[in-house]
Amino acid sequence: MQMIVLAVSLVLMALTALCFAAAIRSGGSARPADRSEERRRGLIWAMLVVGLVVTSVSLREWPHSVSAAAADQTVNVTGGQWFWEIDKTELPRDRPIVFNVHTADVTHGFGVVNESGRLLFQMQAMPGYVNRVQYVFDKPGNYRVICLEYCGVAHHDMITEFTVAAN
Amino acid sequence: MVEAKYDPQAGPVKVTMIIAGVVLILLMTFGLIMRLNQAALIEIEPALFYQIMTAHGAGMVGTAGLTGAAVLWYFMSRYVPLVGAVYNVFLGLFLLGVVLILGAIFIGGYAGAWTFLFPLPAMSGGLWTSGAAATFLLGYVSIGVGFLVMHLEVGRQLIRAYGGISGAMAWPLAFGKGRVEDAPPASVVAAMASTIFNVIGVVFGAAVLVASLVNLLVPGFEVDALLAKNMIYIFGHIFINASIYMAVIAVYEIIPEYTGTPWKTSRVFAISWSFVLLFVIAVYPHHLLQDVAMPAWALVTGQIVSYLSGIPLLAVTAFSLLLYLRAGPIKWDLASSLLVLGVAGWSVGSIPAIIDGMIVVNKVMHNTQWVPGHFHIYLILGEIAMAFGFMAWLVRDARKSAPTGTRMGGLDRLAIGTYLVGGAGFTVMFLVSGAMSIPRRWAVHAPEWTSQAGIASLFAVLVIIGSTLFVISYLRGLAGDKDA
Repeated sequence: MQMIVLAVSLVLMALTALCFAAAIRSGGSARPADRSEERRRGLIWAMLVVGLVVTSVSLREWPHSVSAAAADQTVNVTGGQWFWEIDKTELPRDRPIVFNVHTADVTHGFGVVNESGRLLFQMQAMPGYVNRVQYVFDKPGNYRVICLEYCGVAHHDMITEFTVAAN
Repeated sequence: MVEAKYDPQAGPVKVTMIIAGVVLILLMTFGLIMRLNQAALIEIEPALFYQIMTAHGAGMVGTAGLTGAAVLWYFMSRYVPLVGAVYNVFLGLFLLGVVLILGAIFIGGYAGAWTFLFPLPAMSGGLWTSGAAATFLLGYVSIGVGFLVMHLEVGRQLIRAYGGISGAMAWPLAFGKGRVEDAPPASVVAAMASTIFNVIGVVFGAAVLVASLVNLLVPGFEVDALLAKNMIYIFGHIFINASIYMAVIAVYEIIPEYTGTPWKTSRVFAISWSFVLLFVIAVYPHHLLQDVAMPAWALVTGQIVSYLSGIPLLAVTAFSLLLYLRAGPIKWDLASSLLVLGVAGWSVGSIPAIIDGMIVVNKVMHNTQWVPGHFHIYLILGEIAMAFGFMAWLVRDARKSAPTGTRMGGLDRLAIGTYLVGGAGFTVMFLVSGAMSIPRRWAVHAPEWTSQAGIASLFAVLVIIGSTLFVISYLRGLAGDKDA
């Protein structure tokens, strides 16, 4: 996901920059743009249509959905300055896991990273709230929990691990 | 239609840009120190790192706001009789705020980040005292009051001169039968919109600052953390966006001097600024996409409005500038180059920001280095480029580079080339690092992340060199001005 996002972003950024570069290189010699307002309207409509499609596709499945069927695989996670407490450190593979994310003090960011160092998902741990996030681990191995919301002097040291079993 | 008829209040604005230029270089150096530490090329204690991070964040946001306000004040003082003393009060309160913030950080040890996320200021884990946190927050209050006073004066005068908010926003043209020739100048529309949303943002900021201050004094007084976060991001998002929207006034006012074609308030321009007004206020939930306690409709709104915000920028301001560039010869000098770069950088930077505003993407990109990646693009190559362009324009006569018939000197080319390469490389390294899941705001980086920070440091040096050349050029221009 992240590399696709990077590639799409860089391509669109480069295209935008090229529009400016081309306009600058034209040196003002381009023909007067008598259809410019028509083109502007076209751009606005194109952006609206693309936005509608992207929004529909990206929200068709609610990214924060938590299914009731996963209730038996619940893990309670508590963040605090500067530690993580997880009540289960060995989790099953290929089953939806629901994490109930709490905090003991300030706001933290519960981020789960795989063995390749890739961030899989995250959820804010906010005072007074229990935020729930669901994930299905499809590979066994050791997963790291990191803090993704700045929480004070040892923010970068808030790291712990859990294991996803092979079976 | 009221045309420019007053002499601009140049003196205090020029002083402001001196302060801003010097402070920007200092704060960029703070940024370089952080990247060098993450690259393991230098070693500083985490406590000091986070203090520097707090100073860098608060300072950069404040300085961006300061330069935007200077642009706003300078050009609006050409159209309406602004009371000069108000700007002096604004600048005085800003500087008082800076002193309080720096004291809180480097004497009191405060390191709660510029976002002062409740209840972190009161729960430092022993790193700083409640007094230091309160001093930091009072510094924000001072700056906020200064902005409020400044905006109220600008708003009051625009409302009086242009027939109310409706007239200054060109609503008769946008939504009625108003004529283009009766509409206010483009910069007035931008100034009115910026004033409205920044006043709203500052009021929300003041409310959450006061609540946080009371919490520091009376710990039993608690604020709902989610409510506080909403208010902080309404304030923070609006404030930094207002900085850019105020700075773009320089583009609307200055670029026509180089093309000979006025930047008119067309119907599409007037409509787009009305949407900007709405979007800037409504988009802030895109900062809370990982807070599932938020209503789902608010998060969806954040995603949709985040995308829609790109339309006025890309299809109106950027598109119009491209038309200007293609339709007629523009005289290139340092000022015009930096102002065009500012719009280009702002446009380019909006793309990774909009993509991060999608909930599904945000789930794996939020609070990674992707986030400083996109906001550094539209600050370094956007707002700050516009501010440097405005500085260059302020001293254009002294540099013997009048808008007609000018060419960029070799040093100008070197400065802008260095700045552009440095800014592009520095920000792309953030984006690449974000895609590699490297977290933001970590004092200590894993060994496999240090090379990215090292490369970014090299580009940061180029940004600082370019910026220093811009500021030196400005100071030399001011000295020449003085001699004249």
